[in-house]
Amino acid sequence: MKTFYALGLLVIALLTLYLTNALEWPQRITGTRIDPLPALIVCAAMRAPVLALTLLAVLGSLWQTSLSADPPGISMIPLFAVGVAVSLNRRAIHTRLWGARFAVAAAAGALVPLVTVGLLMLLGRQPLLGWFSFWQLAVMSLTSGLLALIFFPLLEWLDQAVEDQPFAAPYDTTTRINRNPY
Amino acid sequence: MNLRPYVYATGFVLGLATVLLALSPRSAGQVKLAAGSFFVPLYSAEAGLQRVRNYAANKTATREELLDQNQRLALTNKVLRIQIQQLRATAEENKTLRVQVAFAATNQWKLRLGQVIGRDPANWWRTLQINLGSRHGVREGLPVLTPDGLVGRVHEVHPNRSRVALIGDPACRLSINVQPSRENGILTADGATVFDHTIVNLKFLPAHTEARAGDPVVTSGLGRLFPRGIPVGKLLSVEPAPGALNSRARVKLAVDSSRLNEVWIILP
Repeated sequence: MKTFYALGLLVIALLTLYLTNALEWPQRITGTRIDPLPALIVCAAMRAPVLALTLLAVLGSLWQTSLSADPPGISMIPLFAVGVAVSLNRRAIHTRLWGARFAVAAAAGALVPLVTVGLLMLLGRQPLLGWFSFWQLAVMSLTSGLLALIFFPLLEWLDQAVEDQPFAAPYDTTTRINRNPY
Repeated sequence: MNLRPYVYATGFVLGLATVLLALSPRSAGQVKLAAGSFFVPLYSAEAGLQRVRNYAANKTATREELLDQNQRLALTNKVLRIQIQQLRATAEENKTLRVQVAFAATNQWKLRLGQVIGRDPANWWRTLQINLGSRHGVREGLPVLTPDGLVGRVHEVHPNRSRVALIGDPACRLSINVQPSRENGILTADGATVFDHTIVNLKFLPAHTEARAGDPVVTSGLGRLFPRGIPVGKLLSVEPAPGALNSRARVKLAVDSSRLNEVWIILP
């Protein structure tokens, strides 16, 4: 278990949730609130173990709903489902390509709010929806893709910074074995 | 690939989500309070930063700016004092008339200023958070306003912060009165509110309504949740429906909630 990596992931989630809640200008420009969690869970799913993903989905969702009128943990299931889907298929996703990073995170950015609204309606809530909600969904998807381009290198750096590094190479690279020189 | 950890994690998340979604409103509020406590250091840091910014701004303001501001405030103060004198006379007259016609006396509002500390991260709700809670005397349902007009009502109360449901949120429907025609209606949100949050729907106006675009809209005082006469906005358009039971209209709200930094709560 990468303990420090998981902790770092949770700190990033907390800070980005706080920033998206406190900053007003993205909504003034686009008419949409930005959700950083889908992009973060996609990026985390590429490297983090399943326990870290679970923590991120559970705590991220609880933190987000503590700032919102949503019932607690409403986005937990969609976030976790996206994380698991990406984690199980991580070898099939070409994450060195920026386009692939963007596409996967953008898809998650559209899927998570859609499933969340569906769950809210199943619970008998009446979320405020209209034609403009399609625009909001498109903006959320686009910003999720763009955020992934920031989160991927950030999490790569975090992983390298806190991962256990061997003090030396596991074999002596200076010794040359000459087999039967004559 | 070893799938066992995924199976365990999925079971845990599904179980936890089911328990959380089945909680009573009170328990759900406590869970939210516990989860929200992680943000307390960040909110405190922001408040500290704001104080430093204000201090720096005060230190760097020029004498000319301060004198100019002082002059403007002195002028506003004089105008307001004259208006208060006039209102006092009107209030006395109103009191006497109320006694004569045996109307219940109205109480003076107890107001408390609150700072907006956050907005709803979900696009499908219209709420904001303020820095006043049950420790400051705030209770659920109290009206929230600015000098321009009504903002909404307190929807969720925590010890040190509260959530305000803004006009246009499904949790804040209110009965209003269109001023010159004195017709009542109910303000609700619809799809247009998602596009422009300062536009809301007005339902249940009389079928042969006399209301016209531009008419002021105020709270009706029905339901006793909001005091009577708080400005809400102006009629943007009216759709009379002679054949139907009632007409509909659109209201442009007086307060743009996206630009709010401070609000006033009417305490009981």
